[in-house]
Amino acid sequence: MSGPPPLIEVDGLSKRFGDVAAVDRISFTVHAGEIFGFLGPNGAGKTTTIKMLTGLVRPTAGVARLCGFDIVREPMRAKRQIGYAPDEPNLYGKLSAIEFLQFIGDVYRLDQRRMRTRIAELLDLFELTPASTTLIEGYSHGMKQKVALCAALLHEPRIYFLDEPTVGLDPKSARILKDIVRRATRAGNAVFMSTHIMEIAQSLCDRVAIIDRGKIVAVGTPAELGAMGGLATLEETFLKLTGGIEDRRVADIFRESA
Amino acid sequence: MTTATFGRTAPDEAWFLVKALLRNRALAIRRDWEGRSLYGFAIVFGVSVFCIILLGTMGGVRVLVAAGAVSLLLSIPAWAFLIYLFTDVLIAFGQALGDLYLSRDMPILLTMPLRMSSIVVAKFVLGVVQNEVYAVIFLMPFALGYLVGAGAAWWTYPCIASAVLIFPATLYAALVVVTIVALRYIPPRLAKEGLWLAGASVPTVFWFLSFYRVAHLTGSIASMRLPAPPAWLPSTWIGQSLAQLGAGSPGEGLRFFLLLAAVTLIGAPIAIGLVSRSFSMGWTAAVSVPSRRSAASAATSVRATPRAAVVKKDLKTFVRSPQLWFNHIAALGFVGYLLVGHATSPVIPLTTQLAMVQVGFVAVLGALNPGMTAISLEHAAIWILKAAPLDAREILSAKFIVAYVQTGIISAIGAAALSIGYGFDAGKTSAIVLFALCASASAVCVGIAFDASFPSFDWENPNHINRGLRMIVPFLINIGVLVACAIVLFVLRFANLPGAEGAEAGLTISIGLYAIASIEAMRMAQRDIAALEV
Repeated sequence: MSGPPPLIEVDGLSKRFGDVAAVDRISFTVHAGEIFGFLGPNGAGKTTTIKMLTGLVRPTAGVARLCGFDIVREPMRAKRQIGYAPDEPNLYGKLSAIEFLQFIGDVYRLDQRRMRTRIAELLDLFELTPASTTLIEGYSHGMKQKVALCAALLHEPRIYFLDEPTVGLDPKSARILKDIVRRATRAGNAVFMSTHIMEIAQSLCDRVAIIDRGKIVAVGTPAELGAMGGLATLEETFLKLTGGIEDRRVADIFRESA
Repeated sequence: MTTATFGRTAPDEAWFLVKALLRNRALAIRRDWEGRSLYGFAIVFGVSVFCIILLGTMGGVRVLVAAGAVSLLLSIPAWAFLIYLFTDVLIAFGQALGDLYLSRDMPILLTMPLRMSSIVVAKFVLGVVQNEVYAVIFLMPFALGYLVGAGAAWWTYPCIASAVLIFPATLYAALVVVTIVALRYIPPRLAKEGLWLAGASVPTVFWFLSFYRVAHLTGSIASMRLPAPPAWLPSTWIGQSLAQLGAGSPGEGLRFFLLLAAVTLIGAPIAIGLVSRSFSMGWTAAVSVPSRRSAASAATSVRATPRAAVVKKDLKTFVRSPQLWFNHIAALGFVGYLLVGHATSPVIPLTTQLAMVQVGFVAVLGALNPGMTAISLEHAAIWILKAAPLDAREILSAKFIVAYVQTGIISAIGAAALSIGYGFDAGKTSAIVLFALCASASAVCVGIAFDASFPSFDWENPNHINRGLRMIVPFLINIGVLVACAIVLFVLRFANLPGAEGAEAGLTISIGLYAIASIEAMRMAQRDIAALEV
C-alpha cells in the first residue's frame, strides 16, 4: 500500500456496556485531506465511537490510532493531535468566552501571542466578540456551540472530531463552519464528523460511513452510497440500511392517534 | 391549566406529583449508590448516631435530675433545637433555592398540564422530606432520650415525636417564603448569591453571639440556667414543649406543641399559596439572569502550564460562586465558637494537643466542599479535561492545589487565631499552624479520592454534590484519621517525653499519619481519574 499513512486508523474497535455492544468491531481509516461523515440513527453508536477516539471512553477491544498514536497506549500524544466539539456544548459557565479559550490555549501550550491573535480571529469569525467578556452561563445554546467550536479549532489540530456540529448554529455560522472544515482539509488535516443531516453529508463529506446498532453497515463516497442497490439518494440508502420508518407505518401511527 | 389535569382534583394531583417525585428521587439515590457496603455503612452510621444521642441525652438528663438542676434542664431543650435550627437554616436556605428555582426538572413540570399549586406542594414536600432525615437522626433521639431521662409519661412520646417531624416543615416554609420574596424584589443575581451567603453567615453570626452568652455562665449547677433564646422562634416552642412535658407540666407542654402545630398547619399552606401565586414571575426572573460582565483578562506574555491553566480556571470559578464559600464561613465560625467558649470556661485544660485536635477538626470542616467536590465540580464539562492532553497526575495536582489553597488558608488562619486567643507562644502557635496545614492537606486528599471514586456530574447546584453518604463517608474517614492523631497526641503527652509535654513527638507522628493518608488517597484518586469515563 502506497501513500501517507491515515490520520485516523480504527481496527476492530468495540465498546460494551454490560451485555450491550454499543460499538461492535468497527474498522475504517480516514486520510489527510478527507472529510469523513459518520451517519447513523439515534443510539447507533456514533457518539460512543467519537468518545473512544477522543479518549473519553476506553474501548473494550480494538485499536484506534490518531496520527499513528494509539489513543489508549499514548493518550497524551494522540490527544495533542485532535480538536473535539461535542454534541452538547457543556462548558465552564463561570468563565467568559475569552477566559475559556485562554484556558484551552494554555492546556495545549500555545504561544501566548499566537493564542491571542487566534482567539480574536475565531471570536470575530463566529460573531462572538461583543459577548466575549460575558460569563458563558448567560449564553444561548447556539453561542455555547460556537465557543465549543472555537475551542476545537483554536490549536489548529491535525484531526477534527465534530459531533453534530451544526445543531444549534444559525445558518450563517453553519456556513462558516463548513468553510472552515473545507479549508482545514485542504491544508492536509482530517475531519471526522457525525451528523443527522443528509444534505450536509452529501455536500460536504468525501466519504461516509453508516453505523447501525454498533456495526458499520456501509462505507463509501456519498455518490457510491446513494447509488447502492439502485437507490437514488444517500437518504434512501441510509433509511434502507438502518431500517428507517416506512411511510405506511407513519400513516398507521397517525391514523391510530386521530 | 384547570381543565387539562386529566380529571384530578387539586389534592389528588398534588398527591400524585408528590408520590411521583419522591419515587424518582428514591430511584436516583438507589442508582447513585449501588454498592451494598455503602448502604450498610450508612445504616450502621445512622443507627449509631441515633443510639449515641439517645443514650447520651438520657444519661445526661438523669444526672441533672439527680443534681436537682431543674432550671438548667428546663432551658437545655430550647437551646438544642436552636442549634439544629441554625444548622438547618444553613442547609435548607440553599436547598429551598435549589429545589424551587434552580431545579432542572422545573421547566418540564411547568410545561405539563399541572396546577402550579401541585408543583409547589410537591417541591415543598420533597424539601421537607430531605430535612426530615436529619431531624430523625439528630433531633428524635435527643427528644426521646430527654423524656426517658426525665421519666415522662408514655403519651408525651408520640406528642414530641410528631413535633419533631413537624419542626422541619415550619422552618422550610419560612425559608421558602423568604426565598420567593427575595427573588421577586431583589435583582435575581443578587438574590441568588445573596441568599447563599445569608444562609451561611446569618446562622454563624447568631450562633456565635448566642454561644458567647452560654459560655459565660457561672454559679452552681443547681441554680444555673441557660439564657432564654428568642420566644418567637419555633425552636423555642418545641424546646419548651419538650421541657415542660419532661417536667410533668402537660398543660404548658401541650400549649407549646399546639402552637408549633397550628403555626405549621396554617403557615405552610399560606407559604405554599404565596409561592404558588408568585412563583412564575420569580422563576422567570431567576432563570433569565442577565449575564454578569467580566473584565476581559488580558493574556499574559508568560505561557501557563496546563496544570496552572486548570488551577486558574478553578480559582476563578470558586471566586465567582458564593455557593462554594459557605463551608469556609462555617469552619471559621467554629473557630469563633472555640475561642468564645473554650478560652473563658474550659472544660478540659487548654494544651497544645487539644488546640491541634481542634484545628484538625476545623481543617476537616474546611475540606468538606473543596476536597469532596473537586472533581465533580467539573459538572458536564468534565469532557474538556478528559479530551485535553492532560494526564491524571496533572488534573489531580491542579485539583489538589485549588482545594488546598482554600482549606489550608482557612485552617492556618483558624489555627493562628485560636493559638493567639489561647495565649500560646510563637513556638506552640507554629506547631499548631503546622498541624492544621498537614490536617487540611490530608482532609483534601481523602475528599478528592472519594470524589474521584464516586464523582457526581449530574447536579443542579454545587451544594447538591455533597449530600447524604457522599458527605458522611469521607467526613468520617477524615475524622478517623484525626482521632488516630488525637490518640497519639494525648498518649505521648503523658509519656514523659522531652519538649513541651511531648507535643513535638506527637506532631511528628501525626505528620507521618497524615502523610500516609494523603499519599494513599492520592494514589487511589490518580487511578480513578485515569479510569474515569465520561
